[in-house]
Amino acid sequence: MIADFLRIAFLGGMLAVDRAAGWNLMLSQPLVAACLAGALVHPGAEWELWALRIPIAVGALLQLLLTNAALPAAQKPHDTATAGVVGSTVAVLGMGHLHAVIPTSAGGLLWVLLGVLSGLVAAVLGGWVQGLNRAAAASDSRRAVVLAAAGDAAGYERLYLGALVRIFTLGALWTWCGALVLLAAAIAILPRVAEGVTTKRIGFVFAVILGGAVATAYETHVRGVKGGLRWTAAGAAATAALLLALAAEAA
Amino acid sequence: MTGESVPPPEEPIPAAPAPPRPIRARDLGAAGSRLLHLQALLTPDRMQGPGFAFSLVPVLRRLYPDRDRFAEAMTRHTSYVATHPLLAGYVLGAAARLEAKRAAGEPIDGARIDALKRALASPLAAIGDPFFWVVLRPLSGLAGVLGIALFGAADPSSPDVRVLLCPLLLLLTYNAVALPTRWRGVGAGFAAAESPADLLRSLRFADWRELLERGGAFLYGGLLALLAAGLHAATMAGGSGLGPVGAALLPLALGFIVARAFLRRGAAATVETALTVLVLAALVSLAL
Repeated sequence: MIADFLRIAFLGGMLAVDRAAGWNLMLSQPLVAACLAGALVHPGAEWELWALRIPIAVGALLQLLLTNAALPAAQKPHDTATAGVVGSTVAVLGMGHLHAVIPTSAGGLLWVLLGVLSGLVAAVLGGWVQGLNRAAAASDSRRAVVLAAAGDAAGYERLYLGALVRIFTLGALWTWCGALVLLAAAIAILPRVAEGVTTKRIGFVFAVILGGAVATAYETHVRGVKGGLRWTAAGAAATAALLLALAAEAA
Repeated sequence: MTGESVPPPEEPIPAAPAPPRPIRARDLGAAGSRLLHLQALLTPDRMQGPGFAFSLVPVLRRLYPDRDRFAEAMTRHTSYVATHPLLAGYVLGAAARLEAKRAAGEPIDGARIDALKRALASPLAAIGDPFFWVVLRPLSGLAGVLGIALFGAADPSSPDVRVLLCPLLLLLTYNAVALPTRWRGVGAGFAAAESPADLLRSLRFADWRELLERGGAFLYGGLLALLAAGLHAATMAGGSGLGPVGAALLPLALGFIVARAFLRRGAAATVETALTVLVLAALVSLAL
């Protein structure tokens, strides 16, 4: 497990740089982050196949839930970059640890919900951790101005690259700590409420959060778009026609 | 008066300016690659200014071997710059061109360089933010999610390759537009430094934005259809805890309505909305 956490810490650091330092390659999108984490975490040979499926579901739900069409400056400071990694890691490793004490998982939906909840909590807490970087950046910025005025190019570059390393380190540390703390919380809490975890309840909560994800996607992709509902209807009709055609062909 | 003309006092002969060193393509390339780290020192008072100066170091070092002039240029570029990170190359290229002219002795003062940066940075932010952040990024995310259905469910006994294909689809959708834009920014800005208005007019992101917005709504419709099909299949198969289709649709509609109500009140609070929906769902499920 130590190797798993080292790998996801490194991944978290890279994703923090992608989101905060300006790479903006979209590696830090929840779907990408969750799937990469799923590929890096190994809960044990018997769970290898699940370890690949659960991250897809966790990533897809987080992708829809965390997609925010507001401009970055208008958003609350959440760390959506590492949310996918933390969510996916807690879901997969939690499954490996808890399957023996939780009688039902509703076909894996319980672990997906655990991952989504962990990812959301990680996004909020990670936003607070990012505050540390903002404070340090303000101080470094003042030093950068002094170095620039002195014409000290080497000093300026060292300072700047130091800021880059800080973003990576904070991202890595937060991913490591966040995943560890949330996994520990899941291992401590879930067995105590195991009796109340039923297939029906898991299905209900999953359907509700899926509805929430669909609503968030609606706000992002349809609301405010000229002719948005017409295009949505066209998309639904085209997909339905395609599915029917495929089903007819298969039959 | 003797009529003899007095020779004028000798004026000091001005020092010959250092021969200009033209910027090389590799200097611009180095500056452009540094733009990848443009926001590592993002602060509210200078925004991307420190990052902009960091990116320009290879160019300024080449143009101003003299430490004082280098320091003056660096100070100029650490000042406030706020633009879209993917379009910053245009600003950087244009600023580099004016710095090169200034270094070569043309009468270009620092204020003109600042004015050019301002004239490009703000409009590029106004163009880039709605296109890349509001439309393209969510659209690529939706494409990645739809990939789950597009690539089909894997054989249960083999590894699910969608764990790689879905993220890849997302990354390709976004970067197919973002990387070429980034790539040509510095060169285009350098070439069009004298006519920033033409440069801005040449960028057609507003047209593309409308098209992609409709594409997003279209894909959202596809998502709904696939969701309905998936829900139908899951309820038919049983074991998921969702129950019959009608029973599954009820909580789905509940989640949709509650989330929309919260999002309409605070569109930027997506995380809080999702957490609230999840907690409410867990509480309501206790009654089941």
